[in-house]
Amino acid sequence: MTIELSRRGFCIGTALIGLQTISSSAFAARSEDGTVRLGLVAPTSGPNARYGAFSLRGAQMAAKEINDAGGVGGRKINVMPGDSQGTPVEGVSATRRLIDQDQVDFIIGDVSSSVTLAMQPVVEDAGVLLLNAASSNPMITYKAGVGGFKWTFRNYPTDENRSLLVLQYAAEKKGFTKYSVLSVDTDYGRAAIQFTKKYLLRFKSEILTEDYYKEGEVDFRSVLSKIRDSGAQAIIMYGNADSAPIVGRQMMEVGIAGKIPLIGNAEFNTASTIKAAPKAMEGAIEAAAWLPGYDSPKSKAFVDKFTAAYREAPNNHAYVHWETVHLLAKAIEQAKSIDREKVRAALSGIHYDSAVGEVTFDDHNQARLPMILLEIEGGTPVVKGAYKAEIDYPK
Amino acid sequence: MFYTIIEQVVNGIVSGSVYAIVAVGMTMIFGVLRAINFAHGEYYMLGTFGAWFAIEYFDLPYPVAVVIGVVATAVIAVVVGNFVMQRIVGAPAEAGVLATLGVALILQNTVILAFGGSYKFFSGGYIEPVSVFGFTLAEQRILIIIVGLIVFVGLELMVTYSRMGKAMRAVSQNIECCAVVGIDVRHIALWTFILGAGLAALSGVLTAPVNVSVYGGMGELITFKTLPIIIMGGLGNVRGTFVAAMILGIAESLVATYIGLQFRDTVGFATLMLVLMWRPHGLFSAQARF
Amino acid sequence: MTPAELSAATTGRDLRLPFGIALVALACVAPLFLGNYPLHAMIIALIFLLPAHGLNLLLGYTGLLSLAQSAFFGIGAYTSALLAVYFGTPFYVNFLAAGLAAGLIALPLGIPALRLRATSFVMCTLGFVIIGQAIAKNWISLTRGDMGLAAIPKPYFALGPASFAISGTVGFYYLVLTIAAIATLVAYLIVRSPAGRNMIAIRENETLAESVGIPIWYYKLIVFMISAAFAGLGGSLYAHYLTVVSPLTFQMYYSTTMLIIVLGGGAGTISGVIFGSLLFVGLTEALRVAPELRMIAYGFFLLGLVFWFPSGFAPLIGRFWSFLEKRK
Repeated sequence: MTIELSRRGFCIGTALIGLQTISSSAFAARSEDGTVRLGLVAPTSGPNARYGAFSLRGAQMAAKEINDAGGVGGRKINVMPGDSQGTPVEGVSATRRLIDQDQVDFIIGDVSSSVTLAMQPVVEDAGVLLLNAASSNPMITYKAGVGGFKWTFRNYPTDENRSLLVLQYAAEKKGFTKYSVLSVDTDYGRAAIQFTKKYLLRFKSEILTEDYYKEGEVDFRSVLSKIRDSGAQAIIMYGNADSAPIVGRQMMEVGIAGKIPLIGNAEFNTASTIKAAPKAMEGAIEAAAWLPGYDSPKSKAFVDKFTAAYREAPNNHAYVHWETVHLLAKAIEQAKSIDREKVRAALSGIHYDSAVGEVTFDDHNQARLPMILLEIEGGTPVVKGAYKAEIDYPK
Repeated sequence: MFYTIIEQVVNGIVSGSVYAIVAVGMTMIFGVLRAINFAHGEYYMLGTFGAWFAIEYFDLPYPVAVVIGVVATAVIAVVVGNFVMQRIVGAPAEAGVLATLGVALILQNTVILAFGGSYKFFSGGYIEPVSVFGFTLAEQRILIIIVGLIVFVGLELMVTYSRMGKAMRAVSQNIECCAVVGIDVRHIALWTFILGAGLAALSGVLTAPVNVSVYGGMGELITFKTLPIIIMGGLGNVRGTFVAAMILGIAESLVATYIGLQFRDTVGFATLMLVLMWRPHGLFSAQARF
Repeated sequence: MTPAELSAATTGRDLRLPFGIALVALACVAPLFLGNYPLHAMIIALIFLLPAHGLNLLLGYTGLLSLAQSAFFGIGAYTSALLAVYFGTPFYVNFLAAGLAAGLIALPLGIPALRLRATSFVMCTLGFVIIGQAIAKNWISLTRGDMGLAAIPKPYFALGPASFAISGTVGFYYLVLTIAAIATLVAYLIVRSPAGRNMIAIRENETLAESVGIPIWYYKLIVFMISAAFAGLGGSLYAHYLTVVSPLTFQMYYSTTMLIIVLGGGAGTISGVIFGSLLFVGLTEALRVAPELRMIAYGFFLLGLVFWFPSGFAPLIGRFWSFLEKRK
């Protein structure tokens, strides 16, 4: 009897939930409720949730800051999350739901490039503004703005110039010519190395060994022993924040800490990473658009606030999403409305004063972000140069 | 050159020990429950989170955190075992797959809900490198190898001599006859499951210091590493699984060094498929039972 | 006999045909009253229906549990994408090539795999997915690795002066609906044929089937290939709809989804699979109403499915038919 009841309950429950999806009104106009609806597509379940969580928190913190100060043009920002699980299908479903059912005005998303690429045509058809704050595939930018997708904007640096500058610094200031590659096996890591290879000849350098580690890899000992015996002078690493301390510790185990530095970008310059393996991080060279230790009042305020609110330090994704929400708010203010056309126009021409300098967008809707080059000396990151770069778009 | 190969073999034994502790648990669960536990990696994750929580929020020393991690996971295993795993006994394979996948989703996402999805840093453990026969290893890794051996020997003894162990062997050989002889199959199934989950948790807490990064979704990768091992070792075959884990660890190490790190994960399933073509019943079992 | 057949036989009235026609008619006019988001959900359900039919033939009718659907789904997706991006071929070429490629690749994979016993076979099929992903990631000259293939063009039908391209969600919906209907018909014809009955015989009792002269090994292999082809065709639709393929297409997530659709709907029935597909998509999308609890609720749903509906919802559908019959 109880089984029968629970079965019936299960059926009815499922049917009700299923009907809820179909019942979304198809043609209702966006109801005016005095808020700005901001959709946020990010992986909040599955293995990639470890990055999506930071993005969501960064955005939510920014929204709270803005709302506490009275909102943007009198409207409060309402962040509506959508889970993409890092899979394109889920990402597109989340996007569609946000657009059609939740009737968002703008969307920020995703972290994974494949999801973002799948979202682009969807937002383009619907005429919804998409701000990307974490994906690294250059195709997103090549196809944006004059490249076709007018509604996609990207507020995240590309790796073209970053790889050039890292290599340049290493060759000219350190005299390195022999490298080993240990980068993350995603479009981010692979693309960065592809770009690096373009410039090897210019600096008379060579790559001795080339390895890519999967996201979530924890055992680097074999590769590091190989690198130790290869004669490389530095390890080119473009990877994720949570692998850097593991690599650092295992470099200590294998005996190359302090002898072969890391160059590239994997958030080497966070306090916890340096603390995890100080000897290995010594002499690390990193180029980034932002680091937790960045020396500016706005940046420090952000780090302090985030750490106080969430009991853990922010990472790059948290920062960029926080910054992007503020950027959007500024654009809405400039446009003096939440009409998407007007906000988009405002974004294209914006001069935004971010925590790391002025941000503008080029004709491919890619943000021109100031970047800094740091070297770790004596356990602290030291700024060795700053630059702003134009991208060489393929014809 | 020779030294390098030996060094990679040592690396392989280190990672093999980690896999072994997790894999023997999974294979025992299969032997008794006839279910591939797709949620096995989640117990590894739970053990790690339990220990992390103890260290992060209560500042407890690492050995205490190890115990807490394993005990917490065992408690959760009791609940899961009672409500889910016991019912899988005798059900078709598809049921086991879906049920354990459901459990995996619930465990993973509850942890994300409770602690936030972001990755945490695991502080604690013995990470100082020491030199052993000319190889440098973190102290923690030597601990892992030793624990791996203890677990293996302990299980062998238990399965051969203890009442519980003999009952487990009986259940894995012929469930119908167990009822005749008076063995409470559901009871044995539950305890085997708890033991298996506890071992996975133990492996998690032991490797957390050298793996550093802790997050809710970390169990999935472990599950996928362990699945080929238990098949190669022969399902339900503890000895075979232990050896298979070591072989996989060494193979992965050699592939990572001489072919490329990006192929490391494929070694598991690629080796499995080759083994299955050649010896469908696993490397160590005399005949194919599954 | 399925419950519907049984009730039809006893009352002399088969309600399934008029009901089925009504359902199809409803599906045809759906875009008039469904917004883009529910239409998208329907499209996804219909795309997944193809590999689900394949898995149903394999698991529901022949009794082989396989997790390889994602591998063939991915092979189909990549085949279609590569043809479309590099050669600009019309849709029907990409589509058929995808199914063909998946089906043919299933042959050398199936021959050694089918010798294995049940659990080892399941793991071997999972291995296909993992190896498939590794190949997609590392054969960069062909697949562009992790960068993936983006901007796959819209489905284009080159019919001389009558050529057209499908654009927009509604257009795609009708394309997928048509293809899914044809696929369902094909699956139905297969299970209704003598071959279908042989498959059921193999599922029920292999040794007995062999003793009456059914060449079980050949059957298993052919069904494996057909199942793969179905998955490949689904992959082609997926590629054209999402416009992006990446190594992420080879993930156990898709294999699991197919399994849930087949088992949830009712393995061994055609209507069950259709129901399962709609149920799966309807549920996962509707659960978005509570984003943090979504996957937890989904996990509990799976448990509920396994313990309360081990044969899926098909028996319920059967009772529904009998209920309708009795009413008359």
